Amino acid sequence: MAELRHGNLTRRRVLKAGTAAIALPFLGIATPNVLAQGVSKSPTNVLDFTTNADVAKAEQEGQLVFYCHENEAGTAGIMEGFNKDFPKIKTSYVRAQTGALYNKILSERAAGRFDVDVIQLSDIAPAFDFRRKGGYEHYVSPESSAYKKDHLSEPNGYFFWTGVDPAGIAYNSEKVAASDAPKGWKDILDPRWKGKISCKISASGLQFVQWYTLRKIYGDSFWKEFARLQPRAFDSRVQLFDRLSKGDDMITAIGEYPAYILFKSKGAKVEFVAPPDGLVTTPLVVGAVSRAPHPEASKLFVDWAMSKRGQAWYQSNPNLYYGSVRTDAPAMPTGVKLSDFKLLYPSDWDEYASQSATFLKEWNSMLGL
Amino acid sequence: MGSWFSAEKVAGYGVAAIAAVLVLYPVYFLLQAAFDVGDPQVRPPTAYGVDNFSSLLQYPQIMLNTLTVSLAATVMALMFGSLMAWILTRTNVPGRRLFEQLMAVPYYLTPLLGALAWSLLGQPESGFINGIWRAFGGEGHLIDINTPYGIAWVMALFEGSVAFVMIAALMKSMDPSLEEASQVIGASRIRTIMRITLPLVTPGVLGAAIFVFAEMLGSFAVALVLGLPTRYYVITTAIYQMIQQYPPKIQVAAAMGASLFAVMWAMLYVYRRVVMSGSYVTITGKAFRPRLLDVGRLRYVLLGICLLYLFVAVVLPLATLFFASLQKIAVIFPTAENFTLDNFRTAMTMNAVRSALSNSLLLAFGTATIGIVLMGLLAWLIYRSRLPGGGMIEYIVMFPQAVPRLVFAFGLMWAWVVFPIPIYATLWLLLIAYLTVFLPLGVRTIAGVILQIDKSLEECAQMCGASWTFRVRTVTIPLLRPGLVAAWLLLFIASVRELGASILLMGPHSKVITPSIVESWFGTSSELTLLWH
Repeated sequence: MAELRHGNLTRRRVLKAGTAAIALPFLGIATPNVLAQGVSKSPTNVLDFTTNADVAKAEQEGQLVFYCHENEAGTAGIMEGFNKDFPKIKTSYVRAQTGALYNKILSERAAGRFDVDVIQLSDIAPAFDFRRKGGYEHYVSPESSAYKKDHLSEPNGYFFWTGVDPAGIAYNSEKVAASDAPKGWKDILDPRWKGKISCKISASGLQFVQWYTLRKIYGDSFWKEFARLQPRAFDSRVQLFDRLSKGDDMITAIGEYPAYILFKSKGAKVEFVAPPDGLVTTPLVVGAVSRAPHPEASKLFVDWAMSKRGQAWYQSNPNLYYGSVRTDAPAMPTGVKLSDFKLLYPSDWDEYASQSATFLKEWNSMLGL
Repeated sequence: MGSWFSAEKVAGYGVAAIAAVLVLYPVYFLLQAAFDVGDPQVRPPTAYGVDNFSSLLQYPQIMLNTLTVSLAATVMALMFGSLMAWILTRTNVPGRRLFEQLMAVPYYLTPLLGALAWSLLGQPESGFINGIWRAFGGEGHLIDINTPYGIAWVMALFEGSVAFVMIAALMKSMDPSLEEASQVIGASRIRTIMRITLPLVTPGVLGAAIFVFAEMLGSFAVALVLGLPTRYYVITTAIYQMIQQYPPKIQVAAAMGASLFAVMWAMLYVYRRVVMSGSYVTITGKAFRPRLLDVGRLRYVLLGICLLYLFVAVVLPLATLFFASLQKIAVIFPTAENFTLDNFRTAMTMNAVRSALSNSLLLAFGTATIGIVLMGLLAWLIYRSRLPGGGMIEYIVMFPQAVPRLVFAFGLMWAWVVFPIPIYATLWLLLIAYLTVFLPLGVRTIAGVILQIDKSLEECAQMCGASWTFRVRTVTIPLLRPGLVAAWLLLFIASVRELGASILLMGPHSKVITPSIVESWFGTSSELTLLWH
């Protein structure tokens, strides 16, 4: 039987598309939900930011469920900031490290559970994967005009960089004289740091970025030389700085600026070095989730998080201290602006994501795993 | 017909069925993951094979580390547990009732807090003990807690309390007339202990040994806090890294966990052989009143041992934690500016965390109360009933103990997320999870006591015409009461401090407290963590 053709459209294609459209929700895969924005209405002003969300509806939904990689206090802090501005929306959250959290949400969606409104991840690789799987709602925030293209998903509307976590080198100023302290990345390879230097475990998105970017600049031998120092690896930036400030380690190869601010404010004898080649930086990515139980609340949260107001909250909360990539971001609590630093991050995120297995293998084997 | 529907059979097979569902349902998903060689992010699995198991051969050092630490910790825990149980239940040491209560404190403190406290005390560079040592002219460090034996020491102190509870319950139920008879015919105290006391408690101690060893194999927090600084990995800390990373190697972790089933079953087989080969009955139809051994002046030496144990397991860690919680950065000789009350203020204002406490208490009460019935019946089914299949049930019940909780939690999550009744992400799921993961703990604790009760007591009641329910109510339960009370408390405390399964199974509206405590350590400040207790 001859196919009925209308230009490129055939009956078979229409049937296939129809079947796929019906099957997708059962598979837990949402179509790129451009329609979810409904008939596009003009953005409204709320507090001091703009949103496409229907605020009254969001308040009627009354809830926001947030999945987040951040620690308990940080995650609670983000929710507290949003809830302060929108007290009629009750917030709740689940937090776990990115790997476990991502597996959890995928398992839930595969089982037909869609309980999450917004997700924040500490690594861009799973965000790409989630985007491919149709996990993100497509929602273009009016606040995205304050962001550079690099800091938004491609195409815009799936996720954005809610902040960055830049890292340089940090050292204990009682154990290491300023004149002896490393000045650039290559200085951390000095054999005198053997057994006295720390780094992060392979679960860290930032550690992956550091491995990737410094290998690009200094070549494969960089990390081989680093491995000879027998670095000690830890989970969180707090652990790294806790040990550093007590002198258990002399330097850390991945001194996160937010942790430096926190420990400096406690009076810790630690100093921060910004290598001339730049601070390795990882984005923290936020996006509204498709088939969210509270879709208006999720859009409102994305707008709030992108806004100057939300960014100021992220940037000044002691448990977060994220650097804001908004083009008009205020200075950080130290008075320094993120734009004062040279930031190092992968220019090709797809290529970066493809290196994940190599990184895990090399890093784990370096640590004796 | 009547015999087919007897209360005994209904209860026996009923609890067996519940236990089998609780355990085998998530185990099925876990095994499915262990053999999953397809895309780790896709569920259900797309390809099966044994690659995950063969990849375990890459980790010989980690296996060796795990065995070293677990064996050392088990030996230490059994030594502390047996010695303290004997002192506090069988001798006239002064203040024994108070000491007995205090023995639960290290377990309640949780291994994480114990590890943090000993980390503050025993780090080679910043440890308080080493700081004092250097202040008095010493050089280098006096102790290093980041060694395998340091890790085992802390594990034995804070995870080994279960050995004390199990062995103490046994010793309490032991008829002293056997020891008295030994002494009457001229045996010395030491000979009596060696020839009478120890053989009598053998099955209980062996049960405790197997249980404690499995607990140590699955121990996580201590190895994480104290092992990482020296790159000393054990199975659980390796699994933790595999699960946390992206993409997570959950399949290899599941294979690692599943292979521990074999280890557990082998140990259980040995245990059953020992138990079945001899009689360990001490509670018979003959009346006895537990009598204490008068150890004369030796009791002051024993008092010193009790005080020393409680000092290193309770007083010193708690004092260290309190001292550290008053500081911005915990050091042994702080300056005036380093003191702060900010940690207390932060702890008081974390509302989200505080609300988790009531959930934890509610769950602990539910788990302990339901658990005591379920696990009591299971222990009776395994060791007392003549119903066929009791032995098999014991192997099934021990499954959750074999696999580190972090891994078992994935099996639970996969199992219950697809369950048609919507309990996922509710407190019900956590209740089910706790009842599942604590089955071995409850059954083993109660079983140790059941083994000491002479069957003839129940048979006597049966001969007198008592029904099964009447016998259980009037004979078995009253005899088991001390063991049941101990098991209830143990389950309650274990539930409050549960971590591995809770992290993954908590929903946005069903939070519990311990993961929040751990979070404080990972993400905010170790000084803040110390406040949660």
